[in-house]
Amino acid sequence: MDILFGLCGKGFVILAGDTTVAHSIVKMKNDEDKIKTLGPHLAMAYSGEPGDTIQFAEYIERNLRLDQIRNVHERRPEASASWIRSSLASSLRSRRPYSVNILVGGFDISSAAIVEGQEELGGTPKLYWLDYLGTKVEVPFGAHGYGSYFALSLLDRYHDPNASVEEAMGTLKRCIDEVSKRLVVSPSKYKAKIIDKDGVRDIEIPV
Amino acid sequence: MARRYDSRTTIFSPEGRLYQVEYAMEAISHAGTVLGVLTQEGIVLAAEKKVTGKLLDLSGASTGGYGGSGEKIFLVNTNVIVGVAGLTADASSMVNLMRLTAQRHLSVYDEDMPVEQLCKRLCDVKQGYTQYGGLRPFGVSILYAGWDPHYQFQLYHSDPSGNYSGWKATCIGSNSGTAQNMLKQHYKDDITLEAAIKLVLETMGKTMDSTTLGSDKLEFATITLDKNTKIPFAKIYRPAEVDALLKKHGLAKSEDEEMRS
Amino acid sequence: MSIMQYNGGSVIAMKGKECVAIASDLRLGNQALTISCNHEKIFPVSDRVYYGLAGLATDVDTMRQRLRYRVNMYTIKEEREIEPETFARLTSSALYEHRFGPMFVEPVIAGLSKTPSGGVEPFIAAADLIGCLNFAKDFVVAGTASDKLYGVAEGLWEPDLEADDLFETISQTLLNAVDRDAYSGWGAIVHVITKDKVITRKLRGRMD
Repeated sequence: MDILFGLCGKGFVILAGDTTVAHSIVKMKNDEDKIKTLGPHLAMAYSGEPGDTIQFAEYIERNLRLDQIRNVHERRPEASASWIRSSLASSLRSRRPYSVNILVGGFDISSAAIVEGQEELGGTPKLYWLDYLGTKVEVPFGAHGYGSYFALSLLDRYHDPNASVEEAMGTLKRCIDEVSKRLVVSPSKYKAKIIDKDGVRDIEIPV
Repeated sequence: MARRYDSRTTIFSPEGRLYQVEYAMEAISHAGTVLGVLTQEGIVLAAEKKVTGKLLDLSGASTGGYGGSGEKIFLVNTNVIVGVAGLTADASSMVNLMRLTAQRHLSVYDEDMPVEQLCKRLCDVKQGYTQYGGLRPFGVSILYAGWDPHYQFQLYHSDPSGNYSGWKATCIGSNSGTAQNMLKQHYKDDITLEAAIKLVLETMGKTMDSTTLGSDKLEFATITLDKNTKIPFAKIYRPAEVDALLKKHGLAKSEDEEMRS
Repeated sequence: MSIMQYNGGSVIAMKGKECVAIASDLRLGNQALTISCNHEKIFPVSDRVYYGLAGLATDVDTMRQRLRYRVNMYTIKEEREIEPETFARLTSSALYEHRFGPMFVEPVIAGLSKTPSGGVEPFIAAADLIGCLNFAKDFVVAGTASDKLYGVAEGLWEPDLEADDLFETISQTLLNAVDRDAYSGWGAIVHVITKDKVITRKLRGRMD
């Protein structure tokens, strides 16, 4: 039931997710943060089987933290996403696979990611779409859950890889509004995080 | 006195020393010299070969493969080359372990393994052999030359105890003290790759037992970044290329010397 | 619906005269929903061997990583590049390891093998998901549009095509076949391997 969105702009990536926790037809909670910060320039939004989601997200969070303590530098977004994918893929063929869908947003600050002529951005924004099977694909924008049926076509039309933060938030708002308008069981509240060269932080969704 | 404490690696002597580890280090100080110099443009590695002789079949090194005679300098991954000093047999198994480790990392993270992480991983293994019962430590010191997008070019040295450290220019093996001093005198932080190659060859010339350098006694390699793709490029020189390089720097054998040797 | 159709995608390889071509579409879907329009399924093994994997995207990725691991260890220990025939056998055994819980991918391999006289010989092969190899003289196909690919290729392919003509033949075959398949499409990528270079081109198809 959860809805996740992610989109890249010029020098940043935004992740957003609804805040509803539902059990059958009952809303149990409406202020759940479904986006976890995984590192100085890395975050992931997750949805799926309740229980699996938190268990898996915390496993990823703590292991990436351990990885960073051991190796001092932060793991690059591509490498982190690949490791998450490997974890999901090996879980898939285990006795009880995790059923978690993920959007990984990161900002690559390593020397290889600094584009010539755009040094002021300080790196490259990265967004990865992962599903519970371990499918991983780098995308300019992505969505999970019922939201994807409404938002992907909107994003095809309105997404701009060179958008400013305000423009990108406007596009995100369009997606949220469309879901509210057309989906029968639409969530009421969303939370969003932005990842850029300064790190990961919360960002207000315009009303 | 030492007898009582050096038969097992796990036991400290009363002076608080681990003899087997010290002996392993000693073994290395007799091994062929390996020298590395770090620059902004790349890293230069050179090594002295001890196993020589005109009956040795080196046809594999002059054609085919990735160059090198497989005695001192090895390709580990596209972004890392190593030079080894010590027991050759131990070195081979270390190189194999490095290659497997790098490939396993590539599978899981879809990126080339960062150089320091690889070095650290190997040192964990080396340290293990100084502690766990009944085993002999690895009798090899290793110079790792590599590139990764986190710290660009890096040069590390690890020894049998499992210690490792990063260097701008360093040397392992026999006569390493003399070489270290030469490097200390001539190294500059803004040294170019060309100058580093010259420095390495000259230092090798001074430290090696024989008076003249030649591809029969020298292995040589560089790791640089491809100008267009920005992908690391490791080049282990073939015997003919080593001789050409020595000639270019005026360090090659003259014709009649060649005849005599 | 079969798990092989879950993500969609198709791959084809063809023999030419001293050249081979391999091509795939670029779609990645979640059943009928398209997730990405730039998802490559063909990977290089060396300068003269390429392979494509059609099937379940997670297993495509896993197989790619496993094969890369094995090929890299082979290359570094053998100190030479792997021959296409050898790579085909390697792929086959890697797949058969999972005989009773298979990886849901069908590989297509294209490469130039060296002849003893110093020339090159085109090589193509395909396998099913448990590694049963099929060495064909003309073309091999895999993926959700494989039935259509067979039809079009049967009509268009002819022996001893030069690199340019082979490029045209494989491109037309793929584009026209995927137009009749809802799970493949969104443009294509074509690699033509000749003895001195590999020509890679991206094609725009019906982008719907």
